[in-house]
Amino acid sequence: MLRTIIDRLLLSIPVLLGVLLFGFLLLQLVPGDPARVVAGPTATPEVVAQIREEMGLDRPVLIQFWAYLERMAVGDMGRSMISNKAVTAELGAAVGPTVELMLASLVWSVPVGIAMGTLAAVLRGSLADRVVMGLSVAGVSLPIFFISLLLIQYLGVVWPIFPFIGRPGPWYTADGFMALFLPALSLGLILIGPVARMTRSSVLEVLKLDHVRTARAKGLSELHVVLKHGLRNALIPVVTLIGLQAGYLLGGAVVTETIFSWPGLGRLVVGAILSSDFTVAQGAVLLFALGFITINLIIDILYSILDPRVRK
Amino acid sequence: MTLAATDPEEITAVPEEETVSAAPPARAHWFRRLLRDRAAALALVTLVLIILAAILAPWLAPFNPAENSRSIMTPPAWTAGGEPQHLLGTDGQGRDILSRLLYGSRLTLLIGFVAVGIGGAVGSLIGLLSAFYPRLDPWVMRGVDILLSFPAILLGLALVAVMGQGIVPVIIALAVSSVPDCARIARGIAVGVMKQEFIEAGRAVGLSDLHLFNRYLLRNCISSIMIFISLRFGQIVLIGATLSFLGLGARPPASELGMMASQGREFLLFAPHIAVIPSVLIFVIVLSANVAGDALRDVLDPRLQA
Repeated sequence: MLRTIIDRLLLSIPVLLGVLLFGFLLLQLVPGDPARVVAGPTATPEVVAQIREEMGLDRPVLIQFWAYLERMAVGDMGRSMISNKAVTAELGAAVGPTVELMLASLVWSVPVGIAMGTLAAVLRGSLADRVVMGLSVAGVSLPIFFISLLLIQYLGVVWPIFPFIGRPGPWYTADGFMALFLPALSLGLILIGPVARMTRSSVLEVLKLDHVRTARAKGLSELHVVLKHGLRNALIPVVTLIGLQAGYLLGGAVVTETIFSWPGLGRLVVGAILSSDFTVAQGAVLLFALGFITINLIIDILYSILDPRVRK
Repeated sequence: MTLAATDPEEITAVPEEETVSAAPPARAHWFRRLLRDRAAALALVTLVLIILAAILAPWLAPFNPAENSRSIMTPPAWTAGGEPQHLLGTDGQGRDILSRLLYGSRLTLLIGFVAVGIGGAVGSLIGLLSAFYPRLDPWVMRGVDILLSFPAILLGLALVAVMGQGIVPVIIALAVSSVPDCARIARGIAVGVMKQEFIEAGRAVGLSDLHLFNRYLLRNCISSIMIFISLRFGQIVLIGATLSFLGLGARPPASELGMMASQGREFLLFAPHIAVIPSVLIFVIVLSANVAGDALRDVLDPRLQA
């Protein structure tokens, strides 16, 4: 068990280096002079020269990369070019709302997706199956901004039930909870489709296996067979899928946050790009990538807990 | 795209029952079987019609898509207050929505095609080379795994952060993000072909690597790879439109569906049609591509059937 986790942790080191290299290359790939980009278009030549020296751009690339790694190791990502606050402070303030939004959408959409997928698998070929499958293809094809706009239109404007601008407080306050509702609803909706599809095919696969036939032969009720012997084994690939969908979820969060003015990482990165705040944009992209790697790491470890066969 | 094995040489090269994993025995009838699935047939027809309309935009569009008129935010012609000359109404600047829609789907589809094309070509080449030279394989695939850990939208954001907003960074991001998937697919198919006897036979008679790669590996894989890559089209179009919605892709005065939806956001309260119409069109395009793609995969590879 511990062995698996350690192996998996070691495996993520090259990926982590890859991500850091990517973040480093971003700066190198800036058309023109990176120091000029960081300094901003209005900076004087002296300031640009000073920044070039600070960033070590006059030194060989490998030494620059090492210096960059050192800076990253102590969490120094520079300062925002707009607000002049430390990038880490800006990111730190935005992480909470994003995590809150993602968890809130997972909490309701994953159970719903699993229930829909199981229903479709058990009633394979029935009308219910076709409806579930149709809905899930539609769900995968719906632009998330469209869902958000419709929700705002109907649950925010026509029937003003929920607020749809900003985040007045964390989820456990009354206002914060209400404000979380629409963003979490729209972000969760895009996840239901993939989860339902994966659950359906996974349950179908498991229901064909011998142990399920044995369970049926023992005379267990169909409900017991499906839930205890079918679904439980079928959930393993679904857990992996949720890890793979993390990127999809991150992308969705960027859009949802922008539309609902949710003060998270997604809105931060879009705002930073649109206002040419390069340091914040780079930091946010790196943090997103780190989050993605971490989620997949956790999922892999979870996987080995759920499935004793991969523990070896 | 010729999908069936029409080239006589290709048929002799791969006997029907020994085709690679992606191509089932009854390959010749795949199209007929696809059309028997009513949803898939409808999706295909819709997709073809939309593509045709997009290509013919300059002839079909009743107005110049960038031209402002005096009628601002007119609702569609069939609703109260609509004007007959603006079938789908006008947007916040008085531009004809139907015309913008035609030109917009042009750009949206073009971004998708170019991105899938470039990403597919590069990815397939990587996958094929990796199967052809087994020594490269572990390295290439590890690299692909790292690349796979970057979600497309993240890559898009990163590239736009560096290159500035525009269509080119979006296309590059979408293309790069399709590379790992395509490489895996191509490798999977190519590994199957590499096991065939004719490859060994080719080696034995002393064919050059280039010749063997081109004539025997590439030719036997290309159609299967192209089909599997086309399955990605829907998702790529969706991400591209989303990036433009965020203001990171296409920029005015060009018309692009995601951007049109985003421009309609400000008028959502009094003229919802401005945002809703382009969003619905994106939905229809992506849905058709996904439905047709799913059916195609089921027909070509029954083992993958959900």
